[in-house]
Amino acid sequence: MDNSMDNMLDMYLFETNTLLEQLDGILINAEKSKLFTVDDVNEIFRIMHTIKGSSAMMEFSCLMKIAHKVEDLFFLIRDNGVDTFDSVCSEAEHHELFDLVFNSIDFMRSEIEKVENSEPLTENIDSDLEKINVFINKITTHFHPDAVADSPANADASTSSAQNLPDSSAFFLHVFFDEGCGMENLRAFMLVTSLQDACDGFTFYPNDVETNPDSAQEIIDHGFYIGFMEKDTLEKAIAVLKNQSNIQTYEVIENSIAAVEPEKATETEKTADTPKPAEPAAETAKQPAASSASKKTSSSTTHSLANKQSLISVNLSKLDSLMAIVGEIVITESMVTSCPELVGVKLDSFTKSARQLRKLTDELQDIVMSIRMVPISGVFQKMNRIVRDMGQKLHKDVELVIIGEDTEVDKTIVDGIGDPIMHIVRNSMDHGIEEDVNERLKNGKPEKAKITLTAEHTGSEVIISVTDDGKGINPEAVLAKAARNGLLAKPESEYSKKEILNLLMLPGFSTNEEVTEYSGRGVGMDVVRKNVEKVGGVVSITSELGQGTCTTLKIPLTMAIVDGMEIAVGDSIFTIPINNIRQSFKISADEIIHNVDNSEVIKRMDEFYPVIRLHELYNLETEVTNIEDGIVIWVESGDKSYCLFVDELLGEQQVVVKPLPTYLNSFNIKNSGIAGCTILGDGNISIILDVLNLYTNHIN
Amino acid sequence: MANETIDTSVLTDEQLAQVMENTRKYLTFISDGLCFGIDTSYVTEIIINHKITFLPMVPFYIKGIINLRGQIIPIVDIRLRMGKTAYECEDGSNCIIVMNINSIMIGILVDAVHQVIDIDTSKISPPTANNQEILVCGMMKLSDGTTMLVLDQVALSQS
Repeated sequence: MDNSMDNMLDMYLFETNTLLEQLDGILINAEKSKLFTVDDVNEIFRIMHTIKGSSAMMEFSCLMKIAHKVEDLFFLIRDNGVDTFDSVCSEAEHHELFDLVFNSIDFMRSEIEKVENSEPLTENIDSDLEKINVFINKITTHFHPDAVADSPANADASTSSAQNLPDSSAFFLHVFFDEGCGMENLRAFMLVTSLQDACDGFTFYPNDVETNPDSAQEIIDHGFYIGFMEKDTLEKAIAVLKNQSNIQTYEVIENSIAAVEPEKATETEKTADTPKPAEPAAETAKQPAASSASKKTSSSTTHSLANKQSLISVNLSKLDSLMAIVGEIVITESMVTSCPELVGVKLDSFTKSARQLRKLTDELQDIVMSIRMVPISGVFQKMNRIVRDMGQKLHKDVELVIIGEDTEVDKTIVDGIGDPIMHIVRNSMDHGIEEDVNERLKNGKPEKAKITLTAEHTGSEVIISVTDDGKGINPEAVLAKAARNGLLAKPESEYSKKEILNLLMLPGFSTNEEVTEYSGRGVGMDVVRKNVEKVGGVVSITSELGQGTCTTLKIPLTMAIVDGMEIAVGDSIFTIPINNIRQSFKISADEIIHNVDNSEVIKRMDEFYPVIRLHELYNLETEVTNIEDGIVIWVESGDKSYCLFVDELLGEQQVVVKPLPTYLNSFNIKNSGIAGCTILGDGNISIILDVLNLYTNHIN
Repeated sequence: MANETIDTSVLTDEQLAQVMENTRKYLTFISDGLCFGIDTSYVTEIIINHKITFLPMVPFYIKGIINLRGQIIPIVDIRLRMGKTAYECEDGSNCIIVMNINSIMIGILVDAVHQVIDIDTSKISPPTANNQEILVCGMMKLSDGTTMLVLDQVALSQS
């Protein structure tokens, strides 16, 4: 029981989060183009409706109420025509609407977070509701300038005014349903749907019958109003009405000029009541009406869900175990096919089936890998919000350009880079873009600043860059700051520009003197770097003073599988990720230069690189100790570049990364240059080297 | 008298229950001439002659890692762990007890595995005050006269 509840909660959280993200995207786009399309409004309405429904089911009443209000708001907009809304509302009101909805989304998101952390939810949401109510009333006045007070936009307001005619339509049908027939709101809605089939150009009140169960009471108390502009549509409608069941009475009200008191008008214009006895024929009439109504709703939902139904959500841990098993299968398959006992034996059909098996396992592996791949757009879309919010707060006019958001990356990596990218974008907004527009104009830059987010594939890596056209980074200021913080490891004059920019990513470096809301808490780029390194990536910064800054993240597509070079040292086999290898070559003894401390250095492309003998570092027994007998691999990771001396290269192989056993974690083995291990085709274990940590370990 | 009989029988029942409750299966193994025992609930399997891959940069008593059907398991040489000399078998064979200690997988390299016996845990006496063996948390005299040292699996898993 508990378990199924958990599952439901999981589903709820997943669904609501996805919907809120979707909503964010729609709003950002709508705000950019400064108007809503009909589709947008429908979509927002649908999202809010879903959130409301599921929140109510999970008994998160505050979420339900907020979603309900926003739904009301968009219902109003939808009902009155999106174009009308776009034309009648001033820019300021547009702006207010967006703020309102964004705030509501934020509120819902924070509540969802509370649900996730099993904290109590906010109880008091009256002020938020009130804000939306005020706005609803405000825009209602635009739609119905003649009937301000009568606006039935929300249930509370309309109860008091239900006796009055709700809008300026020329004719009204005032309908009462059979007493005690129940679900008056749905009956009204069914009536509306069948009316829509017969005629158009009418309005109805209460207008939230489809979504608001409270409206049932209202209909019982005050009846259901349908307003028409034309007399002939009214007649058509009456014809439809006569075929409906459960309608006790209806009356036609002619809305003569507002001067006539509504009450009086009701009296005078009332046509003869046409009581509709509950005849048996009504039963039959009810069926088609009901089915047509339900058909209508179902067809509209399938339409909007058309592209969603082919998706299912799966727990990530299931995918992880699937991935692990497929990895095992791939290994086992090569264990079987390259079984030493088969060497020299000619088995035609075995070879054939083995080849077939290999093809299938390869395919299987590809598919499993692709399952875990998700487009990076989710992360990128979030930045829209950040740029928008910060732009408003900091009064900077910034445009966010997104390129390559369809690029697909492993799910764990997408989760891992969200925060770093957000941090970089914030940095760009806060420190990168000029405070003063005049400064930009003076430098010949357009008034509107630009931040570009790009993602692209290069073989086994994805490269994500955040580029701004702001003021750039002043290397001297960085150097001075680093000197003040005691972060320099060598004389200032020896720092190259690349090295200076790398100083930014040292712990405890923050160029901004004052702490702002968004950045400058002293935890800056070093956290970014740490997070990116955690998913196996590297960060680099390039910047031209006055031109802007570009932060680039190079991240492996997946952490689970790496292209590696197998190398041998003595009896041990190691794997070096291909990404880290620049070159491998044989050298002669006279190329080795001995340093003062007797460490070995070689010269490559006009630069000197230290040589690390792997067998010495790891105390491995090997016969290959003469530098001419083995092979030198020039490796690079982050800002570290050096050469590794090993016995021999065994060849390139794609390997499945396995973490080291938990027992070994206490020995700090990760920092000694061992990233994990992998099982080779013959069942042997190869140790995956971490080029960056290996170097640091060597230095120590 | 009748009362007493009833009393004793109740007591015996309790004792029986207690004995049942205290009886655990222990796997005994030999390392450096000593007999050790470990609760079988921690033992996953016993494997022999498995290839151990050397792992650099770990304490000397970790012989390396093995690939047990796709699972990577670290191997601790129990002799080295207790500060004794390593056991070298001429033909390179080895015997590993794979254990799961609170979901930490670990294999221990032993000289030989002996047998599984029922042990009344209440009969295990604490180790002597000047206990030299860091991995021993108790000892017990077995029916055949040998002394079994109880392996402290928690200390083992905590490196």
